[in-house]
Amino acid sequence: MYITRSTLLLLMFSYLLFLISVDWVSQTDGAWYRPFIIGLLIILIAAFCHREQNSDDL
Amino acid sequence: MTFDLSSLFILGLCYMAMLFFIALATDRGWIPQRITRHPVVYVLALGVFASVWSYYAATANAFRDGFGYLAPFIGISLAFLFSPLMLRPILEITKSYQLSSLADLLAFRYRSPAAGTITTLVLLIGVIPLLSLQIQAVANSVALLAPDTSQTTLAIVFCSLITLFAIFFGTGRGAGRERHEGLVMAIAFDSVVKLLALLALGVFAIYQGFGGFSGVDDWLQTQPELLANIKQPDAPGSFHVTALLFFTAAVASPHMFYMIFNENNDPKALTLASWALPLYFLLLSAPVLPILWAGLKVGSTAPLEFYPVSLGVDYGSEVMTLVGFLGGLSAASGLIIVITLALSNMCLNHLILPIYQPTARNDIYRWLLWKRRALITALIWIGFIFYFLPDDKLSIRAIGNVSYIASLQFLPSIIALLYWPRGNKKGFLTGLCVGVLIWFIFLMFPVLTGVNLLAVSDINTREIVAVSLATNVILFVAISLWTRTSAEERASADICALDTIRRRNRTGLVAKSPEEFIEKLTKPLGERTASREVLQALRDLKIDKQEKRPYALRLLRGRLEANLSGLLGPSIAHDLIDRFLPYTIESEAGTTDVYVIENRIEAYRSNLSGMAEDLDNLRRYHRQVLLELPLGVCSLGEQNQIVMWNNAMAKLTGISSQEVLGAQLNDIVEPWGTLIEGFTSGEAAHVHKRMLQVKNKRRYISLHKAIIEKSATHKIKQDGVVILLEDLTETELLEEELTHSERLASIGRLAAGVAHEIGNPITGIACLAQNIRDETSNDELRGMARQIIEQTDRTSRIVQSLVNFAHSGSNKADHNSEIVTVEECVNEAIALISLDKKRKEINYKVHCKAGLQILGDSQRLLQVMVNLINNANDASPSGSSITISSKLVSSSVQLSVTDEGSGIPEAIRDRIFDPFFTTKEPGEGTGLGLSLVYSIVENLNGHIDIISASSRKENPGTRVILTFPCYDGASLPAGEFSKAL
Repeated sequence: MYITRSTLLLLMFSYLLFLISVDWVSQTDGAWYRPFIIGLLIILIAAFCHREQNSDDL
Repeated sequence: MTFDLSSLFILGLCYMAMLFFIALATDRGWIPQRITRHPVVYVLALGVFASVWSYYAATANAFRDGFGYLAPFIGISLAFLFSPLMLRPILEITKSYQLSSLADLLAFRYRSPAAGTITTLVLLIGVIPLLSLQIQAVANSVALLAPDTSQTTLAIVFCSLITLFAIFFGTGRGAGRERHEGLVMAIAFDSVVKLLALLALGVFAIYQGFGGFSGVDDWLQTQPELLANIKQPDAPGSFHVTALLFFTAAVASPHMFYMIFNENNDPKALTLASWALPLYFLLLSAPVLPILWAGLKVGSTAPLEFYPVSLGVDYGSEVMTLVGFLGGLSAASGLIIVITLALSNMCLNHLILPIYQPTARNDIYRWLLWKRRALITALIWIGFIFYFLPDDKLSIRAIGNVSYIASLQFLPSIIALLYWPRGNKKGFLTGLCVGVLIWFIFLMFPVLTGVNLLAVSDINTREIVAVSLATNVILFVAISLWTRTSAEERASADICALDTIRRRNRTGLVAKSPEEFIEKLTKPLGERTASREVLQALRDLKIDKQEKRPYALRLLRGRLEANLSGLLGPSIAHDLIDRFLPYTIESEAGTTDVYVIENRIEAYRSNLSGMAEDLDNLRRYHRQVLLELPLGVCSLGEQNQIVMWNNAMAKLTGISSQEVLGAQLNDIVEPWGTLIEGFTSGEAAHVHKRMLQVKNKRRYISLHKAIIEKSATHKIKQDGVVILLEDLTETELLEEELTHSERLASIGRLAAGVAHEIGNPITGIACLAQNIRDETSNDELRGMARQIIEQTDRTSRIVQSLVNFAHSGSNKADHNSEIVTVEECVNEAIALISLDKKRKEINYKVHCKAGLQILGDSQRLLQVMVNLINNANDASPSGSSITISSKLVSSSVQLSVTDEGSGIPEAIRDRIFDPFFTTKEPGEGTGLGLSLVYSIVENLNGHIDIISASSRKENPGTRVILTFPCYDGASLPAGEFSKAL
């Protein structure tokens, strides 16, 4: 099974971010758009991680 | 605010016309390909997944579940964010084997037509409600805006337009395997419209409803219950189950499978989609909450699902109402088109073709095209009937969930397909059937009949999903472990599994050439289709029509199966190819195919890291060593197939590795095929200096071989032969030349001895003849004595030449070393030659640069010049010219003698310096002249070159060029200088 390091990194990062951010997102006095900020952050990291896979050939 | 039907109708019609135009413009090439084939278009087309559930149902979900409404968006986004784990490997398989649907993929992996049929049926049952849902959403939104109009009429018009669009742009070219760029562009446009519509509605809601972002926060502070509801954690497990459902839907929903894998034109586009599509869904989900809150704030009476449409009405904005309506229309239309296209392919391949196939007399492409069109029409109208018939219209959320839960049952088989080669057909089918049964009884049945079985028992939807999935997985694993897997299925599993490189290496096709392929396939497909498919496969593989190598034919067979799979589905294609293009020999399972292993490693090279990367580097190094080895290396696999052919081998034989790799030994051109085959089958491990005739030239080759035995361990199953070819031609020729030189040297020594022995009697004969000449008065006797003297003179000259030749080069110290003026030497030579009264009328042209000097023996240089000019004389016709010139080139004196004679033929050019070689008549030349010249020139540290223009028809001539180091007093060693003076 060939899983790139970047995929594993993304997997780990997403999981850790999810654990850390659950409380922050659900604070009652927090802004309503906090989940979207977390989502955007993960997408940015994903864009960075997938950048190096462009050299892969199928 | 209400609208009349005609305005909505015109708006809808204009929108559909726009879709038609975009698709048409793309297909006709009016839009540049750099736009239509841009990866962003592919990403936007994938936005088709966001159908009415994201456009309409999301607001209701947000109200009920708070942030739980994000679960579907997160589920599908995760599938793309981690595309290297699932989507990318499946893309590779579907591209390689032309699999157009999940049913194709599962039928291919589990080698079972039944797997394809059951998958199609389950997806059909699961997806039809989704189709009707889209129709219902459009009809309901119209009813909301124009309450007096007939929803049914508009639904019929909508369905008709969608049917026409799907038929025109989804089945345009007939074969069903090509990308539909017009369709993709139109769907991408759909996605842009719905995103812009939702974003516009979100901004409208924030600024019109609340006066800005701060207004939203202020209003939320006054709604503590709503705020708490949004941020309250969802019921345990519900969020995760929904996310899992939508994660699976990336592969298990027909429309997403179709868009991701069928319409992909570049694997890199999927890499872009890995993050760009989640971004799209993020942008799509963000405006949902402001829209919901704005609707709640204004006290909208519309159902929660239709807030995107009703918002404009509630705030008195016609534009935003129409924007909301258009967004909903785009969300529904895109999904219906793609879903029907995907389902039509599946139904055709797995429901119709297994029962009824066109005969060879039919035009198969046309037959398939019309069946596909009929299926598209049927599917859309079945969706319509499903919407139209039930009196009690179900909520959007219930229908959506029921549909997607069915697709969740495919998750175990999809994961097993990539990561568990042991999973087999029986396990898959049993798990799927039981899981689907649970789903049908407890979820689908209540939707269809209204009888809610859940009320009887105390379980909810989430638990049913968990139970059905768990049962599916347990049965799949247990039965797969307990039952046997067929060899054919194991081969497919190996192809799909990511962690194995085992392949079945089979050889010996019955058909031996592409022509025979066509001939064999004519029976089931008809001549026209068979020819077209075989030629297409040859074009795909860039293989020549004359190709006969087994490796290439195996590739052709595989490609044909893949192409036919795209046309008829994998089950029928596999069956057809197996029946009409069978293998004659089937090697044991588990043997490795070196090409496949190498290709896979090359393809995944950028993914290798750490130890794997080191191993790959080591492999490449060893391979390079073998390729660059200065000995010819040829490695043979099973059935004497050539596995390796290194560079030295290609140079030696003149056959490139591309020509022979994969071929059998007997396919190689002669004489190499016979040589290697004979050596391989023989018992000798070494053969020394085998002579071959290659292009009329002799070659001497030594051969060595080593047998690669099958290892006792399981890991090495490769056997074969390694053959080394050593080219000894040059060595052999050098040896021959040496032998020849030795022989000549012996003759020379012999001749010198003979000359010495002959010299004395000749002198005696000459003296006696002189006595007779001087002492007799008999004229006749005197004449005879003169003739004897002439002949003895001639004999003496020959003998002297022999002696000179024998002594030349042997005693350098005896030669004088003096300063010789070249011009004087040339003039003296011409003067000497001019004394010969029998000479021809030759014009001597001397162009010698004055003052040129060399260091050497003047008498020997004179002899060289006399010999060369004499040779030129002999070769020149009467009246021609001989040019003698000398010049200074760099630090050398170049002396040339040029005649206008017949030149030296190519055939003898290599031999003219050989002793005793002459072209003159017997008795006219000794064959020692040029040998002597060569020897003297070498002794004088000079160099001799002969340029002959014998190939020129007119005035060919020969030029002999002598090059000597120029005399320069300053550079002369002290000893030499004094000697020279």
